[in-house]
Amino acid sequence: MSKIVNMNCTDCKYYLPVDVFKGMCKLSKQDILPDDAFCDKAERIAKCKFCGKYTAGKEFLGKCMATTLAYPDMIAAKCADFEWSSQN
Amino acid sequence: MESSSESINYYGNKPAQQVEDREKKLKPTERANTARELYFGAKSSASMEFPYWYTRRWDELDGEIPIIRRAESLKAGFEHLTPVIYPGELLAMGKASFLRGSYPMPWLSEAFFMAAEDRLYQEALESGKLTADTFTTVGKGGGNVTKSIGKVISIAGKFGLRVEEMPVMLEVAKRWKDRSVDDVGHKYEQMVPGYKEKEAIMRSVICMFDSGYTLPQGREVMNYYYPLQYGIDGVIHICEEGMNEVAGYPEMDRLYFYKAVITMLQGLKAWIRNYAEEARFLANLEKEEKQKAEYSDLAERLDHISASPPRDFHDALQMIWTFHVAVLNEDAISGLSPGRVGQVLYPYWKRDMDRGILNREKTIELLECMRIKFTEIDCFASMGVVGGVLSGNTFNNLCIGGLKKDGTSAANELEMLILETGISCETPQPTLSLLYDEKLPEEFLLKGIECTKAGAGYPAWVSNTVAMEFLLNNYGHEGMQMEEARAWAIGGCLETSPGSWMPLNLDGEIHWIPGGSAPATSVGVHFLSLPKILETVIFDGMDMRTGERIFPAHGLKLESYDELWQAFQNYFSRAVHVLTLTNNIQHDAWRKISPSLVNSMLKPDCLEKGRDLGQMGARFNTTFNVESCGNTTLVNALASLKKNVYDEKNFDLATYRKAILDNFGYHTAQETGSWSLIDQKPNEQYSEYQRIHRMSLDAPKFGNDDPYVDSLFKQWEDWFCEMTHNYRSLYDQPMYACQISVSTHAPMGAVTLASPDGRLSGTTFSDGSVSAYPGTDRHGPYALFSSATCWNHSQSQNSQLNMKIHPSVVRGREGSRKFLELIRAYMRKGGFHVQFNIVDSRMLKQAQADPDKFRSLLVRVAGFTQYWVELGKQIQDEVIARTEYEEL
Repeated sequence: MSKIVNMNCTDCKYYLPVDVFKGMCKLSKQDILPDDAFCDKAERIAKCKFCGKYTAGKEFLGKCMATTLAYPDMIAAKCADFEWSSQN
Repeated sequence: MESSSESINYYGNKPAQQVEDREKKLKPTERANTARELYFGAKSSASMEFPYWYTRRWDELDGEIPIIRRAESLKAGFEHLTPVIYPGELLAMGKASFLRGSYPMPWLSEAFFMAAEDRLYQEALESGKLTADTFTTVGKGGGNVTKSIGKVISIAGKFGLRVEEMPVMLEVAKRWKDRSVDDVGHKYEQMVPGYKEKEAIMRSVICMFDSGYTLPQGREVMNYYYPLQYGIDGVIHICEEGMNEVAGYPEMDRLYFYKAVITMLQGLKAWIRNYAEEARFLANLEKEEKQKAEYSDLAERLDHISASPPRDFHDALQMIWTFHVAVLNEDAISGLSPGRVGQVLYPYWKRDMDRGILNREKTIELLECMRIKFTEIDCFASMGVVGGVLSGNTFNNLCIGGLKKDGTSAANELEMLILETGISCETPQPTLSLLYDEKLPEEFLLKGIECTKAGAGYPAWVSNTVAMEFLLNNYGHEGMQMEEARAWAIGGCLETSPGSWMPLNLDGEIHWIPGGSAPATSVGVHFLSLPKILETVIFDGMDMRTGERIFPAHGLKLESYDELWQAFQNYFSRAVHVLTLTNNIQHDAWRKISPSLVNSMLKPDCLEKGRDLGQMGARFNTTFNVESCGNTTLVNALASLKKNVYDEKNFDLATYRKAILDNFGYHTAQETGSWSLIDQKPNEQYSEYQRIHRMSLDAPKFGNDDPYVDSLFKQWEDWFCEMTHNYRSLYDQPMYACQISVSTHAPMGAVTLASPDGRLSGTTFSDGSVSAYPGTDRHGPYALFSSATCWNHSQSQNSQLNMKIHPSVVRGREGSRKFLELIRAYMRKGGFHVQFNIVDSRMLKQAQADPDKFRSLLVRVAGFTQYWVELGKQIQDEVIARTEYEEL
């Protein structure tokens, strides 16, 4: 599994959110914080910011397919248009 | 009037020497206990997934037929929700991707969660929509996110939102400006003659909130029949047949309705299957065999119910939970009651037990899991609504008892286990209401007593006879007869709601199961502050707190009690008139912009008629009401004026006006920071008003079987219940009286000056509708019952009586028998509802001082049970101050 810097647990597909302050790791079942750094077992979950069709705008906002409002941290696992970006 | 920890009872009753806890309780299963501990540590959390996708799809479909557009938007929301499943869950699925998840619904209303300096927020404040917010206290503990911390933003004093989602929330909200139900309704409500008076009424908090865009659904009973009987694919098939029958024929709205239901159900199917996929993912990760098997079992179960009817009790329980959440996700809703679940699920349970595939222990575990899931429900709403009305609760009421279709007792063994798990796994939700009937077996009633004694405040005890009389009066013109009246249940905390018997066919045998058959039974004029209206009468139409004129000057000298009473009737009627019209417009905007689809699909006879709930698709549609608040405070105030001004002429009205403005020589509640009368402190003017205040306090008080004041109470009730029928709902049906305070007696008290009964400025009103004002019922419970039943309760959708009893009084088997006789006596006198806090008030004082030690303490407020630490201080003070009965 790849190591990725500058990402946190909410970017991981093993992150189970309990509330806005904390979550659990689906692998270790340990309590973790959303801003904890990626560990060596972490794997990215599909999010807009990882999508090739997403363009970043001002802070925490962007565009989907250059036309539609989107935001970087939205989970896009169920989005039919999602495709992994080659840039990250 | 200052209190001390030694003598907290209002009239000096000495409490027992030691603080007494409630009688020993059962413990939850390990699974439920683990889940509840997780809940205790979780904060209310909002997210933007659903509103983002809803709005995105809505914008893509500009020009589409509105109900189709709505269905597509709901579908987009459901199918994009990220599934979250917590370890050990036997029932899965939730509103959003947090344990206590919820989300804004800007298509209903968007102003309240904008920043305070935002123009949208300021406009809402100006029109009086948010005034109640500013006088509401929200609980500082438990799961409430009361202030912004780090990367979490606090909204409405309760919900946390990650900072990463804040910009998109504001962007999405702004897209709904001039398009939301709130904004469109507001545009047209201004066309009602006298609209400016409505705004003044809202700013003065004579009325608490508009229902059309805040909580447009709820206070009703779910009906789970169609998915249980047909499964989702079966319902889709019904809709396809409906489309074939109506396409191209007149009343074309039926075509769009069927198509919209199909679209919505496709979204639900995807949502359920996404959860199944997540369960499979977790099963693959899991090393521990038992948990792995449970995830696999859950995945298979969810896959099955995404298409087909349930095969067993566990399937059926998962299915009703899934549809419950689905309805909650289509609107901001409080009071969506599961109804008589123990009777709905009994055929599945009995069959599984007979087959030996289910046992008592497994049933208890599942029912405890159900309690945890219902407790996780949050409703994203403004501070005035979520704090000032709901106290953070959402009033999912599960009813037990009552009668079957054939008039025999409906109590069953599964309901005994529901009571058992209400004791073993104390949680606020679902709250329980026992539909008391003389035909119910003693064993069942005593189990109810055992549960009430455990102290979580449920079950509430509700008269089956009184409810059916109300229902037959209210729905007779729509065809209700006695047999169907028996299918009723409580919707929300205490709203009598009509039901129907549905023919569940299981293995070729028909089981008549009850389910709700009306839309929200409590929308309309919500709530009217009776003491505040009396205040405007005394001050010739003015709100003296703000200096704003509310009603036109009556110009009367108020020289007789009758003149005073007529002036009150006049102002009250003006308020009901304008609020009825403006609310009708708001609800019309709701049904056009945001029609119900999930709930419409479930309620008979929407599928048969091809109409949604907003188009009167339901079987019964006489569902708008006028809600009151502060009944007893009003009548006590009237009694004081009648005695002191008109009968005995101890003081003139001018003297009362001055005393009220000077708060009888006391500091205000806002100044003292305490909201009950017993904690207020005199100021330097005290001696000037000592006599009038003492005589006001000593004037006859409701709750003591005193005809002087009880006759005024009856006069008020007879007039109020009758006058509401003069107003017509959006569905052109007569309205009716609804009398529950929920939590509104706190913020409404906070904006009301001192009242002529001696209550001081800013303090909380009397709770419920036939509760005595705290500490003023001094002649025992039977005298209170006589006062409470001085009028016919079946004239109203409800009445509400809250009592507090010291645990020592009902201890042991003898205490249980005595307790049941007490309740029976009230029911036999014609009382509709009574509920109890079995608690030592000093424990509540301790909990207020040291909340961290009392995270799991539950108390009964007014129709609902809530964690002590999640209640605002206003309500905490009021519950502490209630009269505590130390003997029966």
